[in-house]
Amino acid sequence: MLTTTNDPLFRKSMTFCAWSGYMAVIFYIIGGVILGGMTPPLLNAGDSPDEFVRKITENLPQLRVASIFMMISFALFGSFGAGIAAQTRRFEINPVFSYIQLVFSAGGMVIALLVAFAWALMSFRPETYHPSLVMMFPDFAYFCALFSVPLFGGWCVMIALPILLAEEGKEPFPRWVAYANLWAALLYVPGQLILFFKDGPFAWHGFVALWIPYVAYFGWIWVMAIAMSKVAKSTGNEPPPELARTGTAQ
Amino acid sequence: MMNSVVETKGEVVTSPQQKHIPGELGIWVFVAGDLMVFAAFFVVIALGHNGEQAEIFAQSRATLDMWVGVLNTFLLLTGSWFVAKGVEKCRSIHSHAASRYFSAGILCGLLFVANKSFEWGGKIIVGINPMTNDFFMYYFVFTGIHLLHVFVGLGVLLLVRNASRRQTIGRNDIRTIESGATFWHLVDLLWIVLFALFYLL
Repeated sequence: MLTTTNDPLFRKSMTFCAWSGYMAVIFYIIGGVILGGMTPPLLNAGDSPDEFVRKITENLPQLRVASIFMMISFALFGSFGAGIAAQTRRFEINPVFSYIQLVFSAGGMVIALLVAFAWALMSFRPETYHPSLVMMFPDFAYFCALFSVPLFGGWCVMIALPILLAEEGKEPFPRWVAYANLWAALLYVPGQLILFFKDGPFAWHGFVALWIPYVAYFGWIWVMAIAMSKVAKSTGNEPPPELARTGTAQ
Repeated sequence: MMNSVVETKGEVVTSPQQKHIPGELGIWVFVAGDLMVFAAFFVVIALGHNGEQAEIFAQSRATLDMWVGVLNTFLLLTGSWFVAKGVEKCRSIHSHAASRYFSAGILCGLLFVANKSFEWGGKIIVGINPMTNDFFMYYFVFTGIHLLHVFVGLGVLLLVRNASRRQTIGRNDIRTIESGATFWHLVDLLWIVLFALFYLL
């Protein structure tokens, strides 16, 4: 039987996945918060195209460096998500939710990468593009990040369901983790309001549509990374003996 | 163990012990989290009432029919009462009465949705929408987010009703029933504050 206590490779792999989560948050803070002007927003959905160009041109070097950090951060969503799916898989006889989670995490990673792509293109040659085209890049970045509620919210629900549906003692993560995921999913919902508003708290620079989903999302990554760290340290949930697979390396 | 399980006439009946968290810890994590976010929403609305647009807010508020809000408050409070009675029935004498209480709770929720649709419809027909001014932007968005909670709550109540119909109600069923009821009471609580902020201030 391979449990986390006698499978050192699994423990190291889970540690790696948990650290992918921690590093994704740290790289985002460097790229998106300190340098990139994504949160707090440097730009304003209600500004004129010329104002967009002015603000971007004034901050070109840091926006470019920020895009690289954001690219790294978002690419880490893949290994972070795969770790959650791997732990879910250990509790399934016939895997279903672990596969669904993989699909969602891959989708989430790609959409998030598009945010970094748009941010990079925005700072590529703002002086050459027409101002309204420059304006479209941050619009696109925030739409990828915020308007994608069913993708990122769905991912959280797909993590919560196998926990809540599991029989007692066979949950991949503690039950409160499921509720934290459902809460996170609900917090992403205001993101869809950005389509309807260009000013105020529901626009893509606003408190309700930007800050609540962003804080919830990166907070969620941190919580799930902690949950994975616990699994890696053998203090997380372990599958009952009938579910533990027999490995070749005993 | 959260509940003591007593066998009476072949039925498993559960009753809470003194040290008992209704539902489970997780649902309270969720409730606390949701209350935190709504507290932020309430601050946003209150700032609008007292900000530069205080006049527009007062005029717009006057166009809302307070009695529609009162009816919705009444529906949710009644629904919560039915749900609370249902939980009590599940804990004490397990019978079909419990599931009927949950059905009545669901009916109250559906009537709330119907009343809200008429209210929104009435506004949209006369040309008032979220773009009209900041008051109606807040009104539609925040009551909309609350309405989403009502829809989720109705789904949860269906699960609760399902659990209450089992032949024997086990510890896990009681957990589902109590957690679901807790969520429904949260929906009720949030509405009461929204009602005060939009219709009464």
